[in-house]
Amino acid sequence: MRRGAAIVLIAFLGVIFATIAVNYSQRSSLPELAAAYVDLVPRELGAPNVITGILLTYRAFDTLGEVAVLFMVAAGIGLLLGAGGKERGEMQAGVRRSLKETPSTEIVQNGAEILVPLIAIFAAYIVMHGHLGPGGGFQGGAVMASCVLLLLLAKPDYRIKLAHLSFIESLAGLLIVVVGIAGIILAGGFLDNRVLPVGEFGTFFSAGAIPVLSVLLGVKVGCELSVIIARFSA
Amino acid sequence: MAELIGSITILVGAVFLFSAGLGMLRMPDAFTRIQAGTKASTLGNTLVLVGIAFFHPDWGLKLLIIAYFVLMTNPISSHALARAANAILHPAQLPMADASRADRKRSEA
Repeated sequence: MRRGAAIVLIAFLGVIFATIAVNYSQRSSLPELAAAYVDLVPRELGAPNVITGILLTYRAFDTLGEVAVLFMVAAGIGLLLGAGGKERGEMQAGVRRSLKETPSTEIVQNGAEILVPLIAIFAAYIVMHGHLGPGGGFQGGAVMASCVLLLLLAKPDYRIKLAHLSFIESLAGLLIVVVGIAGIILAGGFLDNRVLPVGEFGTFFSAGAIPVLSVLLGVKVGCELSVIIARFSA
Repeated sequence: MAELIGSITILVGAVFLFSAGLGMLRMPDAFTRIQAGTKASTLGNTLVLVGIAFFHPDWGLKLLIIAYFVLMTNPISSHALARAANAILHPAQLPMADASRADRKRSEA
């Protein structure tokens, strides 16, 4: 009976996907809104990467909200993992004992020593080239946090100073808002990127405040995700 | 000609990647799955990168870095995974195929 129902369901899904696939036709031109952005972003903001231009200028307020959501997640996880009571304390002690008995091997430790700088450089590259190519603050920050994760896997007794991370994160968030308010005063509105000179199109120092915002976002997201990871390890 | 060689290399790499995926699905327990996933996907990845290098010789350095990264991370991560699986002593928590169990008994004896 269940098997029959599953087959019917799969056939039903198959029909839906088949109709989508058959009726699909490639668009020959961009929709109106997309065409407007593709035209506006390089001309007004001086950023070759249209998506970053939208995310960090036209929709920068959304991005700020997303970072705030991530902050809430980090805070919530801290709240949930912090309040554990006796049972959790015993579990942590057990984990610590097993870590002492079987620490990570030389292979993992040496591998981490080679890979952590590599990943960190890659993260910095992604963050700083957000306005020129694929990448940006969120992605680079996530890569940065993976670096921290690798470090914690290789050296489990490594203690990350959560207070420092929280401070840097808050500072980055504050600076993002400062750049935004500078946009109101000096340029067209909140988080307008033209507070800094737009510069030559396609060069590293260009697109106004977008690279600055990207770096700040990268630092903030990296710190937030690192705090989440560190909370799970502690 | 170079593009043909590159295409064939990518195709061979894809076959290895497919066998890695098949191994992940069909292998009986954690240790054999790690083996299938790591070995076949490392070779498959490298071959795909070599194939791309035939198409875009100017990407060579970047592809080399990616290949280096894959060749570093895949063995290290599979080593750590296998060690973690081996540290689980209770058989109910770690289902094992008969052959793996026999191997483990031999290594303990």
